[in-house]
Amino acid sequence: MEDRPCALLLKFPGTNCDAETARALEAVGFVTEVLPVSALKPEKLVGVSLVVLSGGFSYGDYVMSGRIASLVTEQKIGATLQDFRDNGGYLLGICNGFQILTQLDLLPSGSLVENASGRFQCQWVKLRKLAPDSPFLAQLPEEFELPIAHAEGRLVTKTPEEAEAYVKGGAAALVYADDVNGSFGRIAGLQDESGRVFGLMPHPERFLRKRDHYDPDWTGPEEGEWGSGYWLFRSLYQAIVEADSDS
Amino acid sequence: MREIYEISDRFIEAGDANGLLYEPLAEAPTYRRTRRYEIEFEGDKAALEAFVRKTLLDEISQELHSGEEPALDGFSFALDYGMKPGALDLEKEAILNYHRGIPEPGFELKELRIRQRIYLFGGKGDESDRFVRDLCNAAIHQWNVLPGHV
Repeated sequence: MEDRPCALLLKFPGTNCDAETARALEAVGFVTEVLPVSALKPEKLVGVSLVVLSGGFSYGDYVMSGRIASLVTEQKIGATLQDFRDNGGYLLGICNGFQILTQLDLLPSGSLVENASGRFQCQWVKLRKLAPDSPFLAQLPEEFELPIAHAEGRLVTKTPEEAEAYVKGGAAALVYADDVNGSFGRIAGLQDESGRVFGLMPHPERFLRKRDHYDPDWTGPEEGEWGSGYWLFRSLYQAIVEADSDS
Repeated sequence: MREIYEISDRFIEAGDANGLLYEPLAEAPTYRRTRRYEIEFEGDKAALEAFVRKTLLDEISQELHSGEEPALDGFSFALDYGMKPGALDLEKEAILNYHRGIPEPGFELKELRIRQRIYLFGGKGDESDRFVRDLCNAAIHQWNVLPGHV
């Protein structure tokens, strides 16, 4: 029997980062299954430690990014993802996956809307971690870089004060070092109260190796050949292996 | 029965309308975009509104307006455009498919018409021809221009 933790990568029509994300999960040690949403059933989560929603444009971003994907997921499996989280499971949403997790109410209340620039932004950004104990961020330095590629990545809350509370209270696990897209509190990533659900707009799967960095001379704060994205997935893998060995 | 819902964004500022055109205007208006849903239905109106709120509206970042009246005022003109009947509208199909999957929706959705509405503010008045030319595709779109509502 396979003793590596299992990751389930959910793919919607329009998801386009599943191959890179699956590669990143496999690189750190997960057994990974890419599952089309049409085949999603509650029993598919049995034996799974991590559910990943990767980037792309699920359902063409119709209505708003992540909306149809969240409705279809809810229609197919109801509150199974909430139960999965409550039973110790981990959920990661990257870019469009982050948008879907917010729509599913698996993260603190917020919405990802059009960038303040009004444009699609594809660039590298500097990030600052505010939740050093997050299982998703533990092996990353205080500041690191990842690429972003989104038109609707500006996190807003009903009031700016709500976002500030996320920054002060730890729900905003990851922030941009600069004002990149107009996100309230410069929030780039949110975690839920359990710390096992995390969504972020930047793409860690696109910076697995240092050679993936846009600057060929870049060395970065991490040792060895791996880039910051690798260490995000590796942190998570480590946390899950340790949690499994404790239980 | 027929209901009209228009959804506007709370956080998105008016943008430079020259960004919508291939050739910039000397005196560019600004614009805001909304989405307009015209729904023919039979059944419970409250169930329809609940469906609209759950499916089409983001309660955090958007506002819902009901009825014919434009959601915004003070505009020079507005342009509505959307897919022609018979043209494949994937957004409409996604919404209808979701509705079909609801066990007891409480209403029957007879027709759904989705329109993007662009409100233009300022500029030299009615320059709608330029926007129709650059935003609408006669092969697949239907459109109409609303006069100013200052």
